[in-house]
Amino acid sequence: MLGLAKGLSYTLKNLTRKKVTYDYPNEPLPLPDRFRGIQKFYPEKCIVCNQCVTICPTDCIQLTGKKHPDPSKKGKIIDTYDINFEICILCDLCTEVCPTEAIVMTNQFELAEYSRDHLFKNLEWLDENDENIRKVNKV
Amino acid sequence: MTEDATKNEPSPNQPKLNQIVSAIESHVGQDALIDHYINKLSKDVPTIVANPNTYYSIAKLLRYDEQLNFAYLSELHGTDFETHMEIYVHLHSFNMNQSVALKVKLDRAAPVIPSLVPLWPGANWPECEAYDLLGIDFREHPDLKRILLGDDWKGYPLRKDYQPYDVEV
Amino acid sequence: MLRTEEMLLNVGPQHPSTHGVFRLVIKIDGEIIKEATPVIGYLHRGTEKLAENLQYTQIIPYTDRLDYLAAMTNNYVLCHAVETMMAIEVPDRAEYLRVIAMELGRVASHLVWWGTYLLDIGATSPFLYAFREREMIVNLLTELSGARLTFNYMRVGGVKWDAPEGWIEKVAEFVPYMREQLAGYHELVTGNEIFVNRVKGVGIYTKEEALQYSLSGANLRCTGVKWDLRKNEPYSIYDRFTFDVPTREEGDAFSRYHCRMEEIEESLKILEQAVVQFPEGPILAKVPKIIKVPKGEAFVRIESPRGEIGCYIASEGKKEPYRLKFRRPSFYNLQILPKLLEGENMANLITILGAIDIVLGEVDG
Repeated sequence: MLGLAKGLSYTLKNLTRKKVTYDYPNEPLPLPDRFRGIQKFYPEKCIVCNQCVTICPTDCIQLTGKKHPDPSKKGKIIDTYDINFEICILCDLCTEVCPTEAIVMTNQFELAEYSRDHLFKNLEWLDENDENIRKVNKV
Repeated sequence: MTEDATKNEPSPNQPKLNQIVSAIESHVGQDALIDHYINKLSKDVPTIVANPNTYYSIAKLLRYDEQLNFAYLSELHGTDFETHMEIYVHLHSFNMNQSVALKVKLDRAAPVIPSLVPLWPGANWPECEAYDLLGIDFREHPDLKRILLGDDWKGYPLRKDYQPYDVEV
Repeated sequence: MLRTEEMLLNVGPQHPSTHGVFRLVIKIDGEIIKEATPVIGYLHRGTEKLAENLQYTQIIPYTDRLDYLAAMTNNYVLCHAVETMMAIEVPDRAEYLRVIAMELGRVASHLVWWGTYLLDIGATSPFLYAFREREMIVNLLTELSGARLTFNYMRVGGVKWDAPEGWIEKVAEFVPYMREQLAGYHELVTGNEIFVNRVKGVGIYTKEEALQYSLSGANLRCTGVKWDLRKNEPYSIYDRFTFDVPTREEGDAFSRYHCRMEEIEESLKILEQAVVQFPEGPILAKVPKIIKVPKGEAFVRIESPRGEIGCYIASEGKKEPYRLKFRRPSFYNLQILPKLLEGENMANLITILGAIDIVLGEVDG
């Protein structure tokens, strides 16, 4: 009986403690800067080096480049950039290898959709996704 | 790897390897082992390569010999090396405070080997896994079954020539 | 005349007490289990096959998904295997960050076990207390790595991120807080007569049986084998800390409970020392951009919260492993279950299964 009484006293002590629950979704969750949510893409920064495609462990990124419209400039610019969010595992490797930080993480993690088709994120979507962008991307 | 071991300075585990090898040679036979060396890449673990037909007797000796007494089977798995199949068994002896890697090379076309379950019951599921993924037949195994993939699976996925039939996921 | 008939019963594959997709086909005669056959593989994702076509850095996120309650140790075992083969010296600061992350993970993992185990055997509130404290650890690890469970934090030769500002202090503050809570847990549960009656003397096995069945972790230590790879085969920087390896002699579910609870305390001791010793310096060794492991093979093993986790790499000198194999402790630990369940009462099934502490992601690979 002693054990039960001790346990009950612990329970009673906890009654007066501060609440630790979050009022989500009424209030957004506080997340640290490093949190990994869906990516933000800056088309103007991309140099079409293809490194993010190579490193992706699930092959969920596809991109195509085109010649620079200004003939005096060398190199390529991005044409299409798609991430298939059905299989992206948010491992952060694409942002790690990107030399120009054209692709970075955001804090956006609410990704539930009614249709699988909506999980296919294209360049426009990723470009417009500019809330809570991660500030520090490289150590 | 055999050259490496002789080229560089001897490993601190060399005496233990010698002890194990001499015990095997005196109890099982002079030609029981195909090869033995210190694996410098793997934290200097003594590695012995058994003949398929002496594999079980060597394992039995390692298990029950009073000095050696490798009572703990830490890991068992198979690998398809295309030229042959290989079983890798990592054993540990609390007596000697030493691990040993026991390997055996099998014919790839018909990989058959005695089961270690009578010596270490803990080899049961790992052997099932090797059977399931590589098609290695463990003789005398009490319940050899496709433990991970299910009974109706065709082929052995960890073989290098495996063709996945379900291309779309 | 009373007549009993044998009955076949499926527990799972979806049942809260199996903690994932695990099925147990049991033959029962009245309340007594005659035979139990575990059926696994529902969560098999073929990590080892996938790894054969991936570079070493790309495999790290896959290891997160094996033992998802303590992903840091999985990250570590892969990196450790590659580092051992390539003979990479990991900078001190990186090793400290790894150890702190791993030990936090160990505490979190044991807390989940503690909470869910008691939930399984009928006590609801410990679960809430355990998750209250675990949430703090998860927040700490999110701050460090950017994810709550699938950290992808370690890299070959070091870690991805340095500790954010003030993080080490937060860990230092967490240690005494957790100690205080742990004392509360003992007050709430350990002395509780109902709980003790449920677990004491249940699921007993001997030292010899534990070794025969290749059990590891608390499942082995509860029989009196003082075996912890952090102490017996020191890897990383574990030889720099003083801590004990808690053992028990009884080999029942209650002794496993004690071992795990004391392991939390030992992990806190390590954390306490690590934050004091925490050095300055780089967090990543000089490694080539494309990691190519020398030709050969290696097997390394370390101590995860569930036992001995190992990683075998056979390499052909390419940027992908030729064969990658994980020794998954839950897979080995679960083997003894049919033997333990035979002749037991139905009500003890959950007590015994829960005390083994399995994670199905790891059992199925």
